[in-house]
Amino acid sequence: MPLVIFVDDSETALASTRMVTNSMPIEVKQYTEAQVALAEIKAGMTPDLIITDLNMPVMNGFEFLKGLREVAATKRTPTLMLTTETKPELKQQGKALGLTGWIVKPFNPAQLKQAITRVLRLPA
Amino acid sequence: MMMLDSMDELLTHIKDVQLDVIELSGESLMKMSSFMEKNELEIDEDIATALQYQDIITQQLNATIEAIESMQSSINMFSHAYKSDEGLAQQSIAKLKEKLSVTLQDAKDKKSRFSGKFAESHADDEIEFF
Repeated sequence: MPLVIFVDDSETALASTRMVTNSMPIEVKQYTEAQVALAEIKAGMTPDLIITDLNMPVMNGFEFLKGLREVAATKRTPTLMLTTETKPELKQQGKALGLTGWIVKPFNPAQLKQAITRVLRLPA
Repeated sequence: MMMLDSMDELLTHIKDVQLDVIELSGESLMKMSSFMEKNELEIDEDIATALQYQDIITQQLNATIEAIESMQSSINMFSHAYKSDEGLAQQSIAKLKEKLSVTLQDAKDKKSRFSGKFAESHADDEIEFF
């Protein structure tokens, strides 16, 4: 099964995404700290899709994305930003860093499922 | 200066209440989500949105806590200046007013930034792919 990792400093946000994705044919790993997820990726974890929050303490979503792009295994891994931020300039910044897409919170469960299905090319 | 001390105490109280709200609302939601997961309950759009309110509440309250801490720091600096040099205090009150205005504007900006779709009713509900 494809591995999808979620990174969000909010436990409640992670619980919401977990409940939405638990019926999907994917393996899910969740992290409240981006630097921990990045360390595991550097140690050999190879996610098929990464969904991350932007505003997080210690390492924010953009810093995490930059780190991902420096690791050969995740240089091109599809990555979605799941955030409350809606500013076009932030979206542009994400796009320039190689972000795959932008999802504004609160997310719609059906649309989140569709996005994961589309990016991972899962059977609809 | 007693007025400033009272303001400082009031701000500390507001901050403490907000921290309690963050903690209690988080605990409450985690208990509900744990129950739903244990019973394998499928969530619909309304429930998913309701669950995500807590995340937004937390971000909003944390932004105002940051503003409160910044205000307290400015008030304390002014208070210290006043106690040591009244002349300096006259200059400091203008700086205090300026700092408080900047802090308030920053807090208002964060309220909008951290509201997601709630702040922008026109925000596209579609996921944007690049």
